Amino acid sequence: MKIGAKYAARNTSSDDNMVPLINVVFLMLVFFMVAGQIQKADPIAVIPPQSVNDNRAETDPNIEIVLGADNSLYVDDVLFVMDDVQAYLEKQFAATVDKDTFWVQIKADGAISLEKLRPVFNQVRLAGLTKVSLATQLERGNE
Amino acid sequence: MPLNLSQPKRKNAISLTPLIDVVFILLLFFMLTSTFVPWRLVDTPLSVAADQQKPLEEKANLILTLKHNDDQVWVNDQVIRFSDQSRFHALIEEHNEGVFIIQADAGVTLQTLMHLADRLKLNGAKTVSIANAFAMPETK
Repeated sequence: MKIGAKYAARNTSSDDNMVPLINVVFLMLVFFMVAGQIQKADPIAVIPPQSVNDNRAETDPNIEIVLGADNSLYVDDVLFVMDDVQAYLEKQFAATVDKDTFWVQIKADGAISLEKLRPVFNQVRLAGLTKVSLATQLERGNE
Repeated sequence: MPLNLSQPKRKNAISLTPLIDVVFILLLFFMLTSTFVPWRLVDTPLSVAADQQKPLEEKANLILTLKHNDDQVWVNDQVIRFSDQSRFHALIEEHNEGVFIIQADAGVTLQTLMHLADRLKLNGAKTVSIANAFAMPETK
């Protein structure tokens, strides 16, 4: 039969039927390379509060404080006790050359209550730092 | 013993399998490392001295207090639901020259605070201060 012979001829080169697969995989690869952003992972998973606010950071934060839903506190990826934060912040601030742009980013889980967050802000304030930003994620849809 | 020296028949095309292996590894890498939700930032400038918790007391300032995570806010001993657009609108029209200061009782989550700040902003509030919600309660 003609058709059978045609398919038999195609199958002699076994890689031919992989070409569509490669096409799809390449497309996915290009999508993830272009659309995604590679950034450092947080030490613990944090789901930031949703907000309509759309401000983005212009510079990288000098200090990054992560407060997880389980109240674990990480400063620059190191597990910290609350009382040690002030000393660390002061040390980092003293070691920075460009003091005007020094800012602290606080990434806190949306589900933690505010009284857990207050000591963190208090430590930052005690360290004499005033530029603090709270991380949120953009709320989409339902508004 | 007859030695079979005949060369295996060469394929005329390069095998695609190693290519696919590499492409799959690249694909996995990019799928796992890329994030599609960039973080946004809310500035919460702090006053330096710990006792400057009350910003300039002006008549126009409006203090909103969150007591629970029930999408309600207390203003001047009245409860306003977050969904009550007209009340919010009236409130903001009335006080838009001042600062909307949000305070929170124990147990209120960060997400609730952000919802209220969003609500105020969406209804046209010019200045919303959330820093007071993070201030330590006054030591007595």
